[in-house]
Amino acid sequence: MGLIQTIHEKLVSRELSCTELTKAYLEQIDSANPALNAYVCVTGEEALAAAAAVDKKLAAGEELGLLEGVPMALKDNMSTKGVLTTCCSKILTGYKPIYDATVWELLKAQNAVMLGKTNMDEFAMGSSCENSCYGGAMNPFDVNHVSGGSSGGAASAVGGNLAAYGLGSDTGGSIRQPASFCGAVGLKPTYGAVSRYGLIAYASSLDQIGPITKTVEDAAVVFDAISKPDPRDSTCLGAKGGATAQQLGSDIKGMKVGIAREYLDGVRDDVKQAVLNAAKTYEALGAQIVYFDLPVLKFALPVYYIIACAEASSNLGRYDGIRYGYKTARYNGTHDMICRTRSEGFGEEVKRRILLGTYVLSAGYYDAYYKKATDLRGTIIKAFNDAFAHCDVILAPTVPMTAFEKGHAASDPIETYLTDICTVPVNIAGLPAVSVPCGFNQKGMPIGMQLIGKSFDEATILNAAYHYQQAAPENFTDTKWGVKL
Amino acid sequence: MVTREDVENIALLSKLFVPEEELDGLTKSMQEIIDFADAINNAPASAEGFDNINNLSNVFREDEVVPSYPVAEILKNAPEQAEDHFLVRNRE
Repeated sequence: MGLIQTIHEKLVSRELSCTELTKAYLEQIDSANPALNAYVCVTGEEALAAAAAVDKKLAAGEELGLLEGVPMALKDNMSTKGVLTTCCSKILTGYKPIYDATVWELLKAQNAVMLGKTNMDEFAMGSSCENSCYGGAMNPFDVNHVSGGSSGGAASAVGGNLAAYGLGSDTGGSIRQPASFCGAVGLKPTYGAVSRYGLIAYASSLDQIGPITKTVEDAAVVFDAISKPDPRDSTCLGAKGGATAQQLGSDIKGMKVGIAREYLDGVRDDVKQAVLNAAKTYEALGAQIVYFDLPVLKFALPVYYIIACAEASSNLGRYDGIRYGYKTARYNGTHDMICRTRSEGFGEEVKRRILLGTYVLSAGYYDAYYKKATDLRGTIIKAFNDAFAHCDVILAPTVPMTAFEKGHAASDPIETYLTDICTVPVNIAGLPAVSVPCGFNQKGMPIGMQLIGKSFDEATILNAAYHYQQAAPENFTDTKWGVKL
Repeated sequence: MVTREDVENIALLSKLFVPEEELDGLTKSMQEIIDFADAINNAPASAEGFDNINNLSNVFREDEVVPSYPVAEILKNAPEQAEDHFLVRNRE
């Protein structure tokens, strides 16, 4: 049973009041956050007010929806009316949105209890969470290891039982990679399944919001709640396949699980072995393993970085020190003010990506880089479509390695970019993918695998993930931190 | 080949100042990333092309007037404001 269902039953049976539950989470955040740094803003007062409203409903004998009263957290790049939203960047110091992101509006309408905003790499640019202006979130399995990024805080909070679930955003792996590092489940939905309204933009054609949870059931429940069409995001169509939670457990005998050989290239042995073991588990469950080649994958990483940086350089043009956030103290003229504000407000990695994006979009380089990358994007999409003619889901490692020790990521940008090699193809192609824990390395750090699906076919990958979870529960272990229910 | 002048020019376009002492290091790291990105030039020429992910096409809707956010609310986040406007001083 999923954690959300467990909490729901405890609330409905009156074993626990929503206020008691929320207080328990807030107390645990108080004691564990100095070590984990998962939260950058805790909204205790608002959480207790929301909990009191749920208790009032219970006292009146009213029925409770599944997500009502369940304590959760939002990544700090999702707009929350009146609550600090900084993208973990100095440049958004003090910024309090005047509207809610659609995802939060949807969950708030179901009386979700938000405990706070979670840590992330600045503007979601990074793979270790260490690019946060608040310092990185740490791994609940070992605090000397990073939580992953960019949604490191959400994964650390869920892995550390400091929230029942969290919402992250995934531009090139930012939900799946930290979920993999922290032993959690992370779903990156199909591009266009979930509204991006109110999500502070990094790369608009790649960004997508999704859940980070303890179990596959929880991921399905949260996905179903947030995947609605939204007139305020013209690319958002909502889910197309009906409620995924109700489709969990349907038969997977005869399901074709594809493995692209390229996904296993350069992957560390322990990770590769865990993924191949999972393939055996699927065979035992009656699925058929199909090997195939996807040679175009070797271009995915440069294509991703060109497109993502190009879009970022444009999206981040809005930070000028005039309308919101940080503004430099001393300047001479408007140009000087904007340059100083941006140079002082953005961190090193963000500046690097803005410069790179500006480079690939500038005259003389546009055709060689940006145009070529978008053309290749079409090729990658076609290659995935062709692959799905032969299989129902694709099984791959989420990350070529397990969580690295803190401070390791800072040294070499290219080496850090390489950690995204297994996650970015899905964003380029707009496909859904879910990362689930599939083992541990010798040090006891979690290994994750991802199941990639056809466009808008979240139901199939979640069902496949659910069967794996039932067959290999030993990989879904808990940490010492947080609330125990 | 990324030169110091390229980086200076791109920084100007990006409205970012790069301190003199960081220019060489940044040029080198930009060159490394561009070398890495150059891998795509080994890719086969593509006929696929790309417009948007879900093949959406532009549609028009009725122009419905809905309430705007109050000016005072919007200005709450501004570093400086005056008379219902964002305030930009020429120097500080």
